[in-house]
Amino acid sequence: MIRMAKKPLEGIRVIDSSYVFAGPYATGLLGDLGAEVIKIEGPSRPDFTRGGAFSGLLPDNEARSDPWNRMSTFNLVNRGKKSLVVDLARKEGREVLIDLIKVSDVIVENFTPRVMRGWGLDYPNMKKINPGIVMVSNTGYGRGGPYSDYPAQATTQEATHGLAAVTGYRGGEPSKAGQSYVDFLAAWACASAALLGLRYRRRFGRGLWADIGMYQLGCYNVSEYVLDSIANGAPGERIGNRHRQFAPQGCYRCAGSDAWCALSVRDDAEWGALCGVIGQPELAGDQRYSTAAARRANHDAIDAIIARWTATVNKIEAMERLQAAGVAAGAVLDGRDLHFDPQLKARGLVEMVRFPAEREMGPCRPIIGRPWKFSAMPLALRDPAPTFGQHNREVLREILGYDESRCAALEGAGIIVDKPVKAREVPNMSMDQRVAIGRLAYWDADYKERLGIA
Amino acid sequence: MLPATLDDVKVLDLSQGLAGPICAKILADFGADVVKVEPPAGDAARSMAPHFGNDSHPEKSLIFLLANLNKRGVRLNLDDPDGRELLRQMARTSDIVVESFEPGYLASLGLDYAALARENPGLILISITPFGQTGPYSAYQSEEIVTYALSGIMSISGMAKREPLKHGGMQSQYEGGLSGAVGALAALYARDVLGEGQHVDVSLHDVVASTLVIHQPMYGWVGAVQGRRQPSGNSYGQVQRCKDGYFIWQTGGGADWNDIAEFFGPEALKEERFSTVAGRAVHGEDLDRLVIEATRDRTMQELFRTASEKYHMLFGVVQEPADLAQCPHLDARDFFQEVDHPVIGRIKVPFRLWSMPDAPAVYRRPAPLLGQHNTEVFGDLLGLDACRMATLAAKGVI
Repeated sequence: MIRMAKKPLEGIRVIDSSYVFAGPYATGLLGDLGAEVIKIEGPSRPDFTRGGAFSGLLPDNEARSDPWNRMSTFNLVNRGKKSLVVDLARKEGREVLIDLIKVSDVIVENFTPRVMRGWGLDYPNMKKINPGIVMVSNTGYGRGGPYSDYPAQATTQEATHGLAAVTGYRGGEPSKAGQSYVDFLAAWACASAALLGLRYRRRFGRGLWADIGMYQLGCYNVSEYVLDSIANGAPGERIGNRHRQFAPQGCYRCAGSDAWCALSVRDDAEWGALCGVIGQPELAGDQRYSTAAARRANHDAIDAIIARWTATVNKIEAMERLQAAGVAAGAVLDGRDLHFDPQLKARGLVEMVRFPAEREMGPCRPIIGRPWKFSAMPLALRDPAPTFGQHNREVLREILGYDESRCAALEGAGIIVDKPVKAREVPNMSMDQRVAIGRLAYWDADYKERLGIA
Repeated sequence: MLPATLDDVKVLDLSQGLAGPICAKILADFGADVVKVEPPAGDAARSMAPHFGNDSHPEKSLIFLLANLNKRGVRLNLDDPDGRELLRQMARTSDIVVESFEPGYLASLGLDYAALARENPGLILISITPFGQTGPYSAYQSEEIVTYALSGIMSISGMAKREPLKHGGMQSQYEGGLSGAVGALAALYARDVLGEGQHVDVSLHDVVASTLVIHQPMYGWVGAVQGRRQPSGNSYGQVQRCKDGYFIWQTGGGADWNDIAEFFGPEALKEERFSTVAGRAVHGEDLDRLVIEATRDRTMQELFRTASEKYHMLFGVVQEPADLAQCPHLDARDFFQEVDHPVIGRIKVPFRLWSMPDAPAVYRRPAPLLGQHNTEVFGDLLGLDACRMATLAAKGVI
């Protein structure tokens, strides 16, 4: 098999002036593909993943002197980047950004349209600065349209983009599920748009602008319901873990603490196989359950039969025995299991990011890599996420060619800084307290031994 | 006519269902010439509900329509050696092949990446499957709920006291299509600049797990594992009922606590104890009660507009599919495409994922009927004459 000598985006410079998950994760992935990614934050506006609700936790729950560099989510999403902290609210700060735009290939941003216009950095102005720039704007609702200026974020959008209406326990209220769902759709959309833009520029010699609205991406992912409404006037449905055609389908309690196995039976043969696995082969021919329609009608009774069996086996055993018989089944993995699941391990989804000793982060920590395997360009995490302002000097001196006096002046004026003027709140709570108030299910004091990173 | 970013790219779409076809559709939207190759019985999506008019006719599948806009289609029997030969010929002149067969199936036909790349070294093969091409689960059966369970996301979805809950619909399929497009575009760019094709192996299990950027690293940072939602004490950030539906709100956005208290109305919300994150956690039940009483007689639309426009709050309302079908914002964003389909007739279909004014997604044709472009593709592209095509058709190859 051929191995490429280089990564495809080597030589491409990406400015990441976006916050939270979508833009930062997209540019993190572009970095994995070889791009040089410069993350821009403001002195009093550190990324929201450096503290607060979206930031995750501190290593061993220890803040030390720079908690904003230590949060788990920040370090996952921003791996491999350089950090420049510059105050864009001030003209001299914007001049730094403009100089950087002149020598960059891609900018990913999620400022509100009003802010970018006010700074003279909307696309019509951006392309005057650099006609080759690929500009990717990600906002809640995109530019144009009645909701364009509405504040937005994944949690509240999950209702508005139609997912909550079709998510929830059967017969119950609409529900949100998971975490910040639409942000990840936006991350892939941003990465796709950046790659399309780079290809467009290679072919046609000029850059372009991509205007991504998260709402639209979320709506697209309930298209079958929207089409059912348009074509058939069908209302939405909340069917919990069931399937509109296949039966039985559900998530069943297994032996062990909070242990569950999901399964789906797609035809009569699989139903027969399931009956064999649970030790009740006679049910395969039972008229109450012998067709999909009959099984849908008697789903509650089947659930009780399956649950009696799953309660006697652990979740992995349930999955393996059902799969051995050809039934689609999967254990519900939790946050610990993700690190030990043989499939994810074999695929190498979780990689170790190594930290230099002075970061006091421990030698390495496991974080998610990327969901693709490229046969000719095996990718791996490059460097850890940067500390706040870590590459200020490198960017100003080496990339922008500023001299010492100009750098010192910007630093002296507080336009370039390496410590947040206003840090985000990092909750001071013991791990046991977090479990007691229900923020966590549990924690393992010996996690380093389990992970082999002690 | 604006130049299309991918108008020099030829794609064969062998995939079925939703994930692979959406990946190929995104390539088609930006200009690629995509030929969908279906087995004699047609893409499995043709039998998936919902159907137009609730008529399970294979040309009336709404999912097939959605995921195969902008493609031409041929019907080809790969179980026949002549069928495989035709596919080999098509792959020889293609840039990208998208497939979603069970791992090992293409190899059993002599059509795996190594075989196809021998004849076309620049070829890019995109495989999008539930567990990927490698690893102990690669031969496992899967279904949406199974991918969701094994990805870790169900362990944090739903209520702590109840069973883990799946997202509605077929999210992993859409996620696989969109994420797969990133893989395809990265491989295409790599070929443009470095000259080599390659096999891109996309696992839906990996795709969904890769979204857990809060949940996953908590373990490697401090051994922490999140669970599902506790029954009370965190009302905001969860769906709540109003007069004619449901809403959801959060702190943040452009609103401070005074704005939020004023928006909801009750004086009691201005009390000091509600003004901090910690205070709201402790007094969650009181907060719930005040908010629910204050919104009982207000409508979703009024709440949404007032909260968003006047108070700049993070605020959402539970929109039903029918609301999305008539959403003025989606219309303003050109989200829907009017499609004239030979069997279904004229219908509005979700189409545009994002805007790119200089090189937009362009609608060119409806989803193909089964075998609709056999003559065009096999005749014009491969140069088969009418007699040869008739022979192959009689044999059940095309």
